[in-house]
Amino acid sequence: MRSPTGGQRSSSRVGLRPPLSSSLGQSSLLVVIQRYGDVAGGAEAHARMLVRRLREHVDVEVATTTARDYWTWRSELTAGMTWVDGVRVHRFPVVKPRARVFRSYERRAFAGDHSLRDEIDFLDAQGPVTPELTEFLRRHGREFDHVMFFTYIYWTTVYGLPLLPERAVLVPTAHEEPAIALSMYRRVFHLPRAIAYNTAEERAMVERRFANARIPNDVVGVGVDVPADASPERFREAHGIDGPYFLYVGRIVESKGCRELFDLWAAKRFAGTLVLAGHQEMPIPERPDIRYLGQISDRDKWDALAGCAALLVPEVLQSLSIAALEAWAMRRPILCPSKAPVLASMSRRAAAGVPYASPAEFSEACELLLERPELGDRLGRSGRAFVDRTYTWPVVVEKHLDLFAEVRHRLS
Amino acid sequence: MRRGHSKSSPRADNCVRVLVVVQRYGTDIVGGSESHARIVAERLARTHEVHVATTTAYDHWTWGGRYRSGTSALNGVTVHRFPVVASRDERYKEIERQVLFEEHTLEDEYRWLRAQGPHSPELLDFVHRQGAGYQAVLFYTYIYEPTALGLPLVPERAALVATAHDELPLRLAPYRALFQLPRAFGALTPEELALIRREFRNDHIPAEILGIGLDPAPAADGPAFRAKHGIKGPMVLYVGQVTEAKAVDELLHMWTAYLNALGEATLVLAGNVLMDVPKRPDVVVLGRVSEAEKWAAIAAADALVLPSHLESLGIVLLEAWQMGTPVVVPAWNAVTAGQVARAAGGATYATREEFPAALDAVLADRARFGGWGRAWVERECAWDAFDRRLTNLVQMTAFLA
Repeated sequence: MRSPTGGQRSSSRVGLRPPLSSSLGQSSLLVVIQRYGDVAGGAEAHARMLVRRLREHVDVEVATTTARDYWTWRSELTAGMTWVDGVRVHRFPVVKPRARVFRSYERRAFAGDHSLRDEIDFLDAQGPVTPELTEFLRRHGREFDHVMFFTYIYWTTVYGLPLLPERAVLVPTAHEEPAIALSMYRRVFHLPRAIAYNTAEERAMVERRFANARIPNDVVGVGVDVPADASPERFREAHGIDGPYFLYVGRIVESKGCRELFDLWAAKRFAGTLVLAGHQEMPIPERPDIRYLGQISDRDKWDALAGCAALLVPEVLQSLSIAALEAWAMRRPILCPSKAPVLASMSRRAAAGVPYASPAEFSEACELLLERPELGDRLGRSGRAFVDRTYTWPVVVEKHLDLFAEVRHRLS
Repeated sequence: MRRGHSKSSPRADNCVRVLVVVQRYGTDIVGGSESHARIVAERLARTHEVHVATTTAYDHWTWGGRYRSGTSALNGVTVHRFPVVASRDERYKEIERQVLFEEHTLEDEYRWLRAQGPHSPELLDFVHRQGAGYQAVLFYTYIYEPTALGLPLVPERAALVATAHDELPLRLAPYRALFQLPRAFGALTPEELALIRREFRNDHIPAEILGIGLDPAPAADGPAFRAKHGIKGPMVLYVGQVTEAKAVDELLHMWTAYLNALGEATLVLAGNVLMDVPKRPDVVVLGRVSEAEKWAAIAAADALVLPSHLESLGIVLLEAWQMGTPVVVPAWNAVTAGQVARAAGGATYATREEFPAALDAVLADRARFGGWGRAWVERECAWDAFDRRLTNLVQMTAFLA
């Protein structure tokens, strides 16, 4: 038996086709993301850099929330239309902050025997819950030729993308983590018209897990802006650093693998220094061979990268290490745990790093790089070639435009 | 860029675990998509392990039950029934009018979906927990909650048998995603598939046109039927609910025009009468008839008319052809007109004014049109042909990791 509404003919066809404007001039793009503007965060920075590059090729607008903090989602910015970098941004209010007992929702949803209700509650508890944003997407999303959704995990993508699948491009920034196993996320990986992965490793993981290879996709990521005048000498002088050094750049926090890094470093005495730069969120061992510089400027960072024996990236779970790309752009190698699925595999493919499986392998690699600098130079050169092939802005922009063309082609 | 590819999955081996999700299920359930779901489940159960996830509902409007929740067996199929927590919302009509015709929000559309029902959280939870235990999950009827909210939980192994019409709800937000998700579509007719393609631009999702399989028509005594009802001369038959919703009022008008122009004949209406039918000598109203009586009427008829504007399969056309009886349908019903064109088993009328001529042409050449229709049905609706199409759908859908 059918719904009794049968028989009513559609009078107003809501067309799926792109608006006429796109055939006359530039095509249009809406970027949907949980936070946007002067906010910290990898995916958010990625989106903003990309928007700045893409706006020369498409008419870009952004739909986001009033939150600045990814944990509380507290409404700190004014709702309504505003501009960031000269780009139109539509901000929608977050109606409730992240649940105070979020961890308990998380535990329930991640337990082996959880219900569908547990997943839906987890998504609401995680947020950012923004019904006005999804309403905007329902009403106006089809006025854009393409809609990019950033980050598979948040409410904005899980409930927004299903409203515009036929024009959606997903930037999942996915990695192996408990959340990705939830039933509620399967639709996110099967719905979009195109997927822009950060790495080949991310693509392989997602396609293995979701069997969604029929969706057009590419490994896109971001471009690295390489400064022309990086100077290791300037860095050494500014901070009084002599001799060879290994570098860590980023938040100094356990979740980034810093505890393991300090243990590895302490296991042996190396003929070099461990230099740390970034926001400190845990104690740093007091040792003569560890130097903490605090937060440093962008120029300082490039100078530091250009002169290091290697960049250390101890984090295991990540979808793309921008710092590693930057080290390679400076022709320096990286060291990372072999159990980091993405980075270990990338550095093998790039022939530009040394994955280590044990403390012994870590020390061996460090000593080798200190004793034979030409080895590090060779790995670094190969890293630069890898970055040039994939992670430069002209390549990244070109790949996005190709994905957009594919979306339009299927809609036309 | 990778344009997207489907790995040619290893051929589905002979025994695949299949789950069929449908709003109602049972031998005494009346309804096109429900009957189709049961036929599919039972055909597949001959070679596969088949389970059904459904509700306790018997009534398609209130979702009131006559079944018990729990697991039972029916004709070789394991049936899991889950309770419906609320009957259809009493404000349903009002909510529907609002989301179809008035200013409303996304939230209203989801409220409508839930008000329509059958709302069964336990059924959805079953799909979430147990779905991955099946290699293929076939969802029936796009419009209801078990499909709209259940299929997105297992897209990598789902087929959608939408039984979609060109109707307003098809454009509501909950369905924007639904028609982009499945591994494959099972359509009842080429016209339905064309609608799905046109509306959702999803050509990349493979589809199989399932149609239906039919048992051979039983022996039926046409002359005895005529004698019993005192019918002399040409007899034109309508089978189905006698209601304006099926355009029977239109049929009666066209019938008068036919008699005025071309002379004597009898129109027989077989089916539940839900509208006023004026008493007149040239129209015989049978009311609800038994299966045997229906077949006898079809055998006795010189033509069958199906005037309805919206039909997902038009099974009565197929039954008429089984008996070698030609049919007449309106050209503006894409599905039935398409069936008639494919089978060459009758005629269509492009306007009501054309009806007399169309009917006359069919009556003049009954044996030829009827014979073509019968040949088509024997080819397309034979069980082995249907099973082949069904197997193909399951193979396109099956997730064999």
